[in-house]
Amino acid sequence: MADTTDLKRDVFIMFKDAICAVADFQHVNPGKGSAFVRTRLKNVQTGKVLEHTFKAGESIDLVDLERSNMQYLYQDELSYQFMDNASFEQHGISKDLVGEKGQYLKEGQEVMVLLHGETPLSIDLPKKLTFKVTEAMPSEKGDSAQGRVTKEVTLETGMKLAVPIFVKEGDSVVVNTETAEYVERA
Amino acid sequence: MNEDMQNWERLRTDIAYRTKMEKRAVILAAVRDFFRSKHFLEVETPTLVSVPGMEPHLDPFQTSLMSIDGARRDAHLITSPEYAMKKLLAGGLERIFEIARAYRNGEPWDGGHNPEFTMIEWYRANADYTVIMSDLEQMVVSVAKTVAGSEKIQYQGKEIDLSTPWPRMTVAEAFDRYTGIDLARGIDDPEWFRHAIAAKDVLLQDADSFDDVFFKLFLRDIEPNLGTDRPVILYEYPRSMAALARIKSSDSRYAERFEAYCGGMELCNAFSELNDAAEQRRRLEEERTLRRTLGKDDYGVDEAFLKAVGMMPESAGIALGIDRLVMLLTDAATISDVLFFPARDIF
Repeated sequence: MADTTDLKRDVFIMFKDAICAVADFQHVNPGKGSAFVRTRLKNVQTGKVLEHTFKAGESIDLVDLERSNMQYLYQDELSYQFMDNASFEQHGISKDLVGEKGQYLKEGQEVMVLLHGETPLSIDLPKKLTFKVTEAMPSEKGDSAQGRVTKEVTLETGMKLAVPIFVKEGDSVVVNTETAEYVERA
Repeated sequence: MNEDMQNWERLRTDIAYRTKMEKRAVILAAVRDFFRSKHFLEVETPTLVSVPGMEPHLDPFQTSLMSIDGARRDAHLITSPEYAMKKLLAGGLERIFEIARAYRNGEPWDGGHNPEFTMIEWYRANADYTVIMSDLEQMVVSVAKTVAGSEKIQYQGKEIDLSTPWPRMTVAEAFDRYTGIDLARGIDDPEWFRHAIAAKDVLLQDADSFDDVFFKLFLRDIEPNLGTDRPVILYEYPRSMAALARIKSSDSRYAERFEAYCGGMELCNAFSELNDAAEQRRRLEEERTLRRTLGKDDYGVDEAFLKAVGMMPESAGIALGIDRLVMLLTDAATISDVLFFPARDIF
């Protein structure tokens, strides 16, 4: 049986008879008394986010997921569309569920789609992806407010990224998709 | 930028980080100045001890002490300097403070936690916890003025006004205000309390104790509201959470314990200290039983500590996380931003 140590971001659990994505979690130790895990759970059907505090060590009900390799095709108003590389079936996943990962999707991108039965719930991206810089101000000074000399550029997917000032328009850069941070010039 | 860069390397290029670490030194000096000006004696007590704290939910680090003939004895790193400082109170010192390293195993390495951290404890003889509340407010304001030049600070995009006196709220008032639940009735009638909390859409387990039920709602509906634009002192905890605190004489449902919250962080934990050795022995044995039940290491009771508790005058004391104070006053999001060598760089 799974317990609270299995709570991680993007894990899916059955909570009060509904499938929920763990949107956020934080261990808290109030000092006197047990430790707890504070979570924000997103109901995948309704999109509603609820908060729940688990006592550390409590059992949780992980949802069994299947993984399918798919290719990103296009987006419409509410969803991203993918094609299953094995069956060639097309699946749509709501933008709400894909969340910030949507900013890494460009046509043809291979992703791992997580399905519960027939229902796609989420996607897994490669940890590092390469993108072309489509807009970059030629800057000499950059923004050093945080003590780091960086500037903001726009990538081909529309995503904004802080990069070192030597990065130019037309360069390709590697992005860490877990932290949304610049890694290196490709 | 580079995720593999350790903090000591960040010093070379990350001016903001370096400034935070320089401010850390200023803060430590200002804390010492404050307590010296109030005629507190700075003391040093061991971090390597034979019997660590008994607190059932903490995991002390274990080691063994080898003597020259090769004989080994169990030894531990302290989870707080509390036992030793109380012995000094019993020894007749009346105002003492220590800035100590403390160690806690089995905790997450994240926002506010690092396995090795710095805490300040201070104690006053012939005082109760209300005097410690004033010390706390004055100390934080005086340090803030030194390091930030103002009683108003920016923390993670919000302005916090630190000026004294800080708002004070009993735990029962907080329950009433944020949940509408009558805590006093809940302490008298735990079954009713369970139902009242479950009715708030909190999922409870059969095994949940009163404290578990309490914290499941407290952490969800109360704590996130505390100390957002002003620090807040939350006081009078249910007696089951008394730990080493004295029970309130006018209402035995509560213990004279307080915590202060600021910027979404719990800064400290303070008590009017229990000085009844028999009651202290009973609580330690209870905690020892609970430790065994939870499968934690079992220690003997520190008899010298019990003797000291019986000799202690009426006193009050507090433990405050220095790293969290530094985070607050340097606008740092995580404890790793205010340490030269956070655990994640070492291990």
